[in-house]
Amino acid sequence: MVETQGPPPGAPQGPPNPLFLERMGRIQTAIHCGTPDRVPLSLVMDTFACNVMGVKYSEFCADLDVSGQTILGAVEKLGDVDSVQWASYAPAILGMLWLAPMKLPGRELPDDALWQLDEQVRIQPEDYDRIVEMGWGPWFGQYLGRYLGEAAAAGAMMQEKAPRWVGEFMGRGTVVFSASTVDHPYEHLCGGRTIQQFTMDLFTRPDKVEAAMQAIMAEKREQTRQMIRAIGPFGYWVGSWRTAPQFLSPKLWDRFVWPYMKELVEIVAEEGAIPMLHYDACWDREIERLLELPARTCVLATDGQTDLFRAKEILRGHMCLMGDVPPAMLTLGTTDEVKAYCDRLLTDVGPDGFIMAMGCAMPPNAKFENVKAMVDSVQRR
Amino acid sequence: MTPTPLAQAVGDLQMDVAPGLVQEKLAAGEDALAVLAELQDGMAIVGDKFESGEYFLSELIFAGEIFKQASAPLQDAIAQAAESASGTIVLGTVKNDIHEFGKNIAGTVLSSNGIKVVDLGVDVDPQAWVDAINESGATLVGMSALLTTVFDQMKEAVATIERAGLRDKVTVLVGGGPMTQEAAEYVGADHYCETAQDGVIAAKRVLGVS
Repeated sequence: MVETQGPPPGAPQGPPNPLFLERMGRIQTAIHCGTPDRVPLSLVMDTFACNVMGVKYSEFCADLDVSGQTILGAVEKLGDVDSVQWASYAPAILGMLWLAPMKLPGRELPDDALWQLDEQVRIQPEDYDRIVEMGWGPWFGQYLGRYLGEAAAAGAMMQEKAPRWVGEFMGRGTVVFSASTVDHPYEHLCGGRTIQQFTMDLFTRPDKVEAAMQAIMAEKREQTRQMIRAIGPFGYWVGSWRTAPQFLSPKLWDRFVWPYMKELVEIVAEEGAIPMLHYDACWDREIERLLELPARTCVLATDGQTDLFRAKEILRGHMCLMGDVPPAMLTLGTTDEVKAYCDRLLTDVGPDGFIMAMGCAMPPNAKFENVKAMVDSVQRR
Repeated sequence: MTPTPLAQAVGDLQMDVAPGLVQEKLAAGEDALAVLAELQDGMAIVGDKFESGEYFLSELIFAGEIFKQASAPLQDAIAQAAESASGTIVLGTVKNDIHEFGKNIAGTVLSSNGIKVVDLGVDVDPQAWVDAINESGATLVGMSALLTTVFDQMKEAVATIERAGLRDKVTVLVGGGPMTQEAAEYVGADHYCETAQDGVIAAKRVLGVS
């Protein structure tokens, strides 16, 4: 049984808000594949919140307090929101996932441009051997100093300030789902090497890649356990972006993706936390494999490209599903289309073991009325 | 028709075989254009395997690199083939989007299927599409995007082509992570391509080549 979320270290301590407990209970029931009083809702918002609150993207990126205030303001405008995935956010932190610096608004980009990954070949073929020889920590330390100063600073800022924002949301009754991320070694190496070069490496030097990934895992196992013990439950993103089955043949996926993904998920679950399977792109081909993961413990969050209705047929009673109002529908569709889609989700994917959400994250240019229709949809049941 | 050993080597992703076979053929005095055609037949096999679900994006990327390496000694033939290509596509990632990976993959599979590619790069201004169409005489336009925020930029690019009086002369293909059939209709495109291989199929259909 997963512990109920308490205030994280650094957050204001105090008796839990009854509304928070009600919403947490609803979410816990869904995670355990039960049927709550109504389907819960969880949102990921960053630039959409900026647009709702009239905040420049550059200001959001530069100051975690601005990001927390902006997300909080957007949640309050949307109404009855059970949960957000993140209470505050510093996009530069993405550099730690893909080992590449971010181009940020207000710096390399105009104030209201979206942040984008500056992907270049930074990891060289010989680095696979170096990772094995040096160990992941020392190798990553020197790489961090060379390329990822901004990401490290964002990480430090989040460590210092994020707990306060988790506390702010909890105090107002909103569950903050995710505490941190547990990253797949594939995502690290692919980002630092580029998709093109890394894919070539999978064919031309697979043993080197595999050895480096195993060296990364050798340290990541214990690091992950220590991180969860330090921060505590609730959820941890074990995400998939470049590792989706859509991109890789079964032979490559079985060797370079699934064993590591499965082990990382198991570690998070063993530590008493919820693995949040934030899976972008299409997972249809391998959806049955999720039956190998711990039962009634994980949440599968897809982005609209995986057939969530089919996934429900396969994973019913085994895994809570979350999603997946498609980004294009939220930006270009009508409220009637959103309502109809949400009704299908509530009926066919819910009401048991289901959390209503957008696919992936809220698009910046989602129509407010469409998002509101999605938020309100759970109240109709 | 049974594929030649070279075409089969490309189709089977034999990087250690295909470039050597090209060298042997050139050394034996075979016509460079004919050798290039065999490589393109190999890429057609790759495309078929992708369509049937045997190959995935990973194999498309690898095949593209094999084609690039094997065809390196054939640059004159490639230039000559481009002049007589079955068609020309102007390709790019739309304004305010700097993602190039999907666009590059599309460019590789299109060119290796005998279609001349005019690559405008990323963050392409609407007017640049018009200029490139005028300069190249392209009848195909391929627009890529990874951000939902640039749907309007894509729509503006199509509208700019229309205002220049070129809309009836080109077929607009669109693709990229957030694209859907509905988004393609919103921007005013003619075809939504879910994958790079979809782009090849659509382009060949428009050009009337097999």
